[in-house]
Amino acid sequence: MPDWKKLVQRRMTAPKLGDGLKEEVTAELAAHMEEIYEEARAKGLRPKAAMRVALQEVESWSDLSRDIGITRSTEDAMTHRTKTLWLPLIAILFVIGLALVLLDRAPALQQLIWTACMALLFCAAASEANNLNERTKRLWLPGFASMTAAGLFFLAASIVSDPSRFTSEIGLRPQSLRVESGPGRTFYISWVAAHILFGAVGAYMSRRAGGTRTARILAGMFPALAMFFICGIVIPISAFAGHNLFVERHPTTLLLGMMIWAGIPGIALLAGAAPFLNQTRPEHRAVVAG
Amino acid sequence: MTKRIRSKIARGSADLAILSLLEEQPLYGFEIARQISERTGGALKFTLASLYPLLYEMEKRGWVQARWQANAAGRDRRYYRLTATGRRQLAPLRQEWRSFFQALDDLSGVSHA
Repeated sequence: MPDWKKLVQRRMTAPKLGDGLKEEVTAELAAHMEEIYEEARAKGLRPKAAMRVALQEVESWSDLSRDIGITRSTEDAMTHRTKTLWLPLIAILFVIGLALVLLDRAPALQQLIWTACMALLFCAAASEANNLNERTKRLWLPGFASMTAAGLFFLAASIVSDPSRFTSEIGLRPQSLRVESGPGRTFYISWVAAHILFGAVGAYMSRRAGGTRTARILAGMFPALAMFFICGIVIPISAFAGHNLFVERHPTTLLLGMMIWAGIPGIALLAGAAPFLNQTRPEHRAVVAG
Repeated sequence: MTKRIRSKIARGSADLAILSLLEEQPLYGFEIARQISERTGGALKFTLASLYPLLYEMEKRGWVQARWQANAAGRDRRYYRLTATGRRQLAPLRQEWRSFFQALDDLSGVSHA
C-alpha cells in the first residue's frame, strides 16, 4: 500500500496554507486517493494499475495547489464577525483592564473584565473554528471552553454569594475567600460541583473534534491545570521572592491552597470528563448511518 | 459559447450537484464524487482536483461545514454538512437551472426531463 500522505505532501506546494491547514488538506486528499486506489484494487486491478488510476485524479498538482491555496488560505479568512465584533470588544476591554491593573483600582471590576475577555476570546476562537488547526480544535478550544465556563461560574457565584463585597471593590481573589465560613463553604461546594459539568464540556468538545484520550483529559481538566500553575508556581514564587512572612512561616498553606483551588476541582473535572473518555464516538456513527 | 460562459455553467451545475447531495446527508469528498457519478450514470464526474477546490470554496462561503469523523469502516474522514446558508442557496440555484432548461427547451425542443 503506497504512503498516500507522503505522496500528497511531496506534490502539494501551497505556500499560502499554514502548517495546520496544510496538514489537514494533505490528510483529506491522501484519504481520497487511498479510497480510489482501494476501489480500483477491489475491481481486480494490480497495484501499479490501481496507483495509476489514483494518480490520474490530478492532472496538475501545481494547479491544484494554487486553487487550494486560494480557497483555503488563512489570509483574509477571518470571519466578518470576528473582525468587526469580537476583536474590537476584546481590545477595548483589554485596555480598560490593563489600566485598572496599572492603577491598582477596582479589583472586582478587573475580575469582571478579565472574565469577559476570556469569554469573548472563546467566542472569537469558536467562530474561527474552520481556520484552526487540529490540535487547537481538539485541545485548546475545548480546554478554553471549560476554563471560560469555570471563570463565568466563579464570577456569577462570587456576585451572588456576596454582592456587597463585590460592589464595594474589595475584590474576589481566591485567597480572600474563607472556605471554613458558612457562605464560603456553600460557595465552594457549588463551585466544585459545577466543575463536573465544566470537565464534561471540555472533554465532550475535544471528543467531538476527534481528540485523543489524552487531549480529552487535558481539555476537561484545563481549569485545574491553570489553577495549578497559579497556585503551585506563580503564587509560591511571588510569595518567597517577596519574602511574604506568613507564607514563610506557614508554607503548608500553599499546599492547602493548591489542594483547595486545583486538586479538588481537578478531581471534579476528571469525574465530569470520564464519560467522554471512551474511544468510540457514537454520535459520529449515528450521523454516518443517517 | 465563450470559455467564461462554459465555466460558469459547469460551476453552477457542480454547485447544484454537491449541495443537493449534501441536503440529504453529510458526506465526505470521495463519497460525494462516487455518488454524483453513480446517480448521474457517469454523466457528471468529479476528479479529486475538480472537487476539493469547490468544496473548500463552499466552506469559505459558509455553505457547508466540515468536520472530521469516523466513517462506517472506522476511518477518519472529513464530512461536509450543508449549513443553513447553503440551504438558502439551493432553492434559487434550482430555480435558475429550471429556468435555464426551460429556456433551452423553448428554444430548441431540448427537454431536461
